[in-house]
Amino acid sequence: MANAKYSAAGLFIRGARKKTWPRVWREAEPKKAYDVVIVGGGVHGLATAYYLASNHGITNVAVVDKAYLGSGGSGRNTAIVRSNYLTPEGVAFYDRSLDLYNTMSTDLNLNVMFSERGHMTLAHTDSALRTMNWRAEVNKLQGIDSSVIGPQEVKREAPSLDVSANTRYPILGALYHPPGGTIRHDAVVWAYARAADSYGVDLIQKCEVLDITCEGGEGSESDSADGKGAGGKVTGVKTNLGDISAPIVVNCTAGWASTISDMAGVKLPITTHPLQAAVTEPVKTFLPTVVVSGSLHVYVSQTDRGELVFGASVDPVATYDMRGTLAFTEELAGHVLELMPGISKMRLLRQWAGLCDMTPDYSPVMGHTQVGGYLVDVGWGTYGFKAGPVSGEQMAEAIATESMPELIAPFTLSRFTEGTLVGEKGAAAVGH
Amino acid sequence: MSFVSIRLPSAGSEVIDRARPVTFSWNGKKLKAFTGDTIASAILANGDHIFGRSMKYHRPRGVLTADFWDPNLFVQVDDEPNVRAAHRLVENGMKVTSQNVWPSLKYDVKAANGLVGRFLTAGFYYKTFMKPAKLWPAYERILARFAPGGEVDLDTPHGYYDKRYAHPDVVVAGAGPAGLAAAIAAARAGASVMLVEHEHQVGGHLLWGSDDDRAAAAGMLTDARNLGVEILTNSTVTGRYEDNWLGILQRNHHIAEERLIKARAKMLIVAGGLIERPYVFAGNDIPGVMTSGAVRRLITMYGIKPGTRAVVLTANESGDAAVADLERAGVEIAEVVDGRTGAFVRSAEGSGRGTNHRLSAVTLSDGTKIDADLLVTAVGWTAPTSLLNMSGDRPVYDPAAARFFPGKTPDNVLATGGMVGDGTHDQLVAHGAATGTLAAGRAAVVQHRLQAATARAAAVDGPEPDYPEDLRTPLGRDPHPALFRSTTHGMVDYSEDVSSKDLFGAAAEGFDSVELIKRFTTATMGPSQGKLETVNTVAVLAEARGETIAEVGTTVWRPPYAPITLGALGGRVFEPVRVSSIQSYHESKGATPILAGQWIRPEHYDDPQAEVTNTRTNVGITDVTPLGKLDLKGPDVPKLLSLLYTNKWMQLPIGGVRYGIMCAEDGVVLDDGVTARLGDEHYLMTTTSSGAGGVWNWIENWLQTEHPDWQVHVTPVTTGFTSINVAGPNSRKLMGRVVAGVDLSNEAFPYMNVRTGTVAGVDDCVMWRIGFTGELSYEIQVPAGYGLHVWEALLADGKDLGIAPFGLEAQRVMRLEKGHFIVGQDTDGLSKAPTTGMTGLLKLDKDDWTGMPEVKWALEGDYPHIVAIQPTDPNCVPEEACQILRGPESNEIVGRITSSRYSPTLNRSICLGQLSPEFAEAGTELTVLLVNGERVTAKVMKHHAHFDPEGERLRG
Repeated sequence: MANAKYSAAGLFIRGARKKTWPRVWREAEPKKAYDVVIVGGGVHGLATAYYLASNHGITNVAVVDKAYLGSGGSGRNTAIVRSNYLTPEGVAFYDRSLDLYNTMSTDLNLNVMFSERGHMTLAHTDSALRTMNWRAEVNKLQGIDSSVIGPQEVKREAPSLDVSANTRYPILGALYHPPGGTIRHDAVVWAYARAADSYGVDLIQKCEVLDITCEGGEGSESDSADGKGAGGKVTGVKTNLGDISAPIVVNCTAGWASTISDMAGVKLPITTHPLQAAVTEPVKTFLPTVVVSGSLHVYVSQTDRGELVFGASVDPVATYDMRGTLAFTEELAGHVLELMPGISKMRLLRQWAGLCDMTPDYSPVMGHTQVGGYLVDVGWGTYGFKAGPVSGEQMAEAIATESMPELIAPFTLSRFTEGTLVGEKGAAAVGH
Repeated sequence: MSFVSIRLPSAGSEVIDRARPVTFSWNGKKLKAFTGDTIASAILANGDHIFGRSMKYHRPRGVLTADFWDPNLFVQVDDEPNVRAAHRLVENGMKVTSQNVWPSLKYDVKAANGLVGRFLTAGFYYKTFMKPAKLWPAYERILARFAPGGEVDLDTPHGYYDKRYAHPDVVVAGAGPAGLAAAIAAARAGASVMLVEHEHQVGGHLLWGSDDDRAAAAGMLTDARNLGVEILTNSTVTGRYEDNWLGILQRNHHIAEERLIKARAKMLIVAGGLIERPYVFAGNDIPGVMTSGAVRRLITMYGIKPGTRAVVLTANESGDAAVADLERAGVEIAEVVDGRTGAFVRSAEGSGRGTNHRLSAVTLSDGTKIDADLLVTAVGWTAPTSLLNMSGDRPVYDPAAARFFPGKTPDNVLATGGMVGDGTHDQLVAHGAATGTLAAGRAAVVQHRLQAATARAAAVDGPEPDYPEDLRTPLGRDPHPALFRSTTHGMVDYSEDVSSKDLFGAAAEGFDSVELIKRFTTATMGPSQGKLETVNTVAVLAEARGETIAEVGTTVWRPPYAPITLGALGGRVFEPVRVSSIQSYHESKGATPILAGQWIRPEHYDDPQAEVTNTRTNVGITDVTPLGKLDLKGPDVPKLLSLLYTNKWMQLPIGGVRYGIMCAEDGVVLDDGVTARLGDEHYLMTTTSSGAGGVWNWIENWLQTEHPDWQVHVTPVTTGFTSINVAGPNSRKLMGRVVAGVDLSNEAFPYMNVRTGTVAGVDDCVMWRIGFTGELSYEIQVPAGYGLHVWEALLADGKDLGIAPFGLEAQRVMRLEKGHFIVGQDTDGLSKAPTTGMTGLLKLDKDDWTGMPEVKWALEGDYPHIVAIQPTDPNCVPEEACQILRGPESNEIVGRITSSRYSPTLNRSICLGQLSPEFAEAGTELTVLLVNGERVTAKVMKHHAHFDPEGERLRG
């Protein structure tokens, strides 16, 4: 089905003729067989499908999701993008993602409202300032616009911040990254979905994968004769909407990545932690940049609708439970008021949680596994959204070329048994 | 038609006190009202009926529901944005202004958006502004100008907000007839009860009912008070979290601006009543269109005549009662449309410009057009089930009653009142009372179990009571016509300006599940969080999809139930700063403070370079209290140490001290420090200052999850001791003057040993001979209460020895001269243990230690090395963070400077850095990129220590 092109003129003509727009993506029924089945209809799964079709001409593809598209981490994150990472590898990877985000609105003909508003990571201690300097020096050498600024420049960028010296956590400076910003996360999901659909990719919602079928493998933990596990080959998936056969199955899920992977007899070293976020009622805009404070475990930005969006670090306890806690909102508010004492009368409107799959080295697991045709793009911790476009692009290449592209080569599953952990802890912006 | 609201004659039902007038301002005009008026009733009484403009189309908006959830009545009050005008009571001197207007409420330029509304369908912004890409930032700024809401005054002081903990048996959320009856019954059954009412008065719908209703409410209030029920009005249960952990926001505390009560309730009773649903039709947001509850409250409680000529669409008793109320208030009833007969309202139109805009005519389903300035709708109810949803319940739609009902709640949450069914007053009270009794019975069982399971609690009385099953007679469900949308399109979400037409369009585009349509159109995402809008959204979506409401289902309601200020959540922001017992001395000497993690420490007293020189020449003392200290006791401590440290610990003699490095499971350096054996089964471990909490967690984690059989008892004693380091060539002499009972000679008390003795008359001080500074030095752990005394005694006794205190900066210079690395500065999140160069401490012949496999792998390959570096120019101190490059022309990073200082001892700049192995050889020439872009040369040194590499001074 042809996509009607989005434009101001189109809005005008349809408005004048009182015509509605066609579906963003078709309501697809699963076929009996595909070349590739992608499990998980978030940014990663949809981007993979899109780049498979657009870059490699592989269009006989289904993306299946047990709920609706974008119902997982893609719709629960705080939509911050940046590329000022700590290691040269991290910088290269995320800079490619930022590039793709930058041109996404025109590339995919849907305004994802990328707001290049600048990104500040505050330093409250001299050791944090030292780390900021380090990051800035690495970034500069990589051609990334990133520098350390003093308290007065911080104040100029974000007047609501208290930069006076006698606060509990004084702001000594910040790593300032002008190309960072925010993006409308749902729009990214819809843009990839619409674009993939236009190539004929089937997007199937409320389709839950119940099993991954394999043959020839050494067998899984529960059944040594099920053909799963090392040496095996994928033959398809069983879903609540029927069986689908496919020589390639890609796991692009979060929260349930290890459960899905078990279905192929592939163990993932992942623990799942909730990450909480919250949003306030809207007020007239006053915060022009993204502000992050590692010491105070908070990041905040203001949407164009006027809401402040807050995030924090992952909850310490591993669980699949996505209910928020009162303690989170209390700590969050306390820390935010440390930074911006003038907003005590703003009201918290809504809190929610998403699930983060953490690996031992805080890096994702990507690419081929010991089961032929079963690939993973999982373990994205707290930063999967930022990496969505580049992951999709690279995974598509990995599938099409049956090899590992250089950008994601360090992230193979085998690193956990070969002692070549990536250790890109900087990617998760933890204290170091 | 012009319209002026009129204050009705005084009546016994009103909640205003006409003897106490108040004066406030509204958009600059001085107005009068009465104590007890809400801002909304006060403004209406003065003849204004438009409060603000809508978000997208800037349509003028007036009263819709006249309660907390009214989406049209958000105003700015002084420095506070988004105040609910129909809830907040008016006060003398209040400055109230309208929001979303520019330049004024009367003449709003952005109202032009209304004319082009058909082009600005929901989500229109996703479809345009893509090209040219460089113009998008400008478009974005314009979009942001349409952000709804009030303005934040960034100078708003953080007021006094308080918190309180409570442990009531039963919390009742909602004080209508059922909630009151539940609270009374629970209290009668012996439970401690907290009754929380969102509004300013208890009684719920009884307040705008008959005189008998109000008498019943007053009677129940008296009963509840007499039974000791704690009654909180103008307070909201904002959230129900795991195990009935409740957030309760109290807005009318007599001192605090607001107070957050955190209650662990044994039972929660949800009695939130019902919220009246608006009707969707063309013109449903014109000022003058109101719900039946709105007019009933305005007339009965506030003495406001809400219009002059009314059409009433009624499908239930509330609408019928509104007709009677309107007649009593002298409003002409032009037409009563009975929704139970199939009749409905097709559309409404308004007339008048600016602040005079008002409903002028109503068109009925049969095409009749009737002049009216008031249209009252009573088309049904929504159960505000948020608190039940937070307990895991999903509501279930009942088509016969045309509303959602609670499904199944956990055992410690019960619901009563209008939320669960319909009935006469007596039936609601009976159901409430049965619920209260049931809750009290269950709370008693929980109490019994808690007491029985708690060590040192009083013995329980008798056996555990039987757990009461839910044997309540359910309330009935009155049939109700399904009236959601008329044959025309109107507003579904008033605060987001989302119409039913938008929802049809979005569904046609494929956003056809309730979560997708919410995300695409933003319907239900405004300040009332869907309490008014969700069911209409679901109904319209069901219509668009040709499905039933039950098939579409609802969205998930998330906390909080009602928005809650950051001030109340943050409370008094209790973030204590830690200081040592010597802090008063540091302050009295004007030491420059530095924030180090949770601690404030003296960075320097005077010139830090002079402090270094004095310590190296004479003797200095420094306060190192923040150093983490863990007291370890038990026979299995050596096993624990062997597991956590990379080196060997099974043979450490009593009195011995050993240095150790800890790794995480990935082999990365986690912490380091020295541990002393004080007795047979008694050890004292030190950690880095910033690692103190983390190491304690780390140890407990290993002991509790992996080795619960090991007998080790861990006590954090960081603040139990004040830690003083005495360093310098004269330190032994000084120690000799203050220490009793310990032989300080080098033979009796050599380097890396520990002794316990008396210092300056203080018993039980622990003394270590260790040397972070590279000097002969003693670290004294003094019981914290005597820290200042010992510090002053050292200063007094050391005068003739040239004693002077030194700060953190001098300590950092000396440790760098000595080449000691700092975890987290010279190492980072990627540094595995071999990087430290302490390969002799990595005992690969041990059975196991945390990180050993990773360290083994690391040793087989390449890893960065920590090395000492000296710039060629002795006066050039490269910033900590400078990158080291492959060569003078290269941009490839091969390492970085991690520590750098000017050394007064060596009269030159000195550094530590991390380098890839090919550059780590002693004598290698390096290219260092300074922060200013300049490239300088430097040399790799043979030893980490720039000074006294053989360690003769600290062993002397």
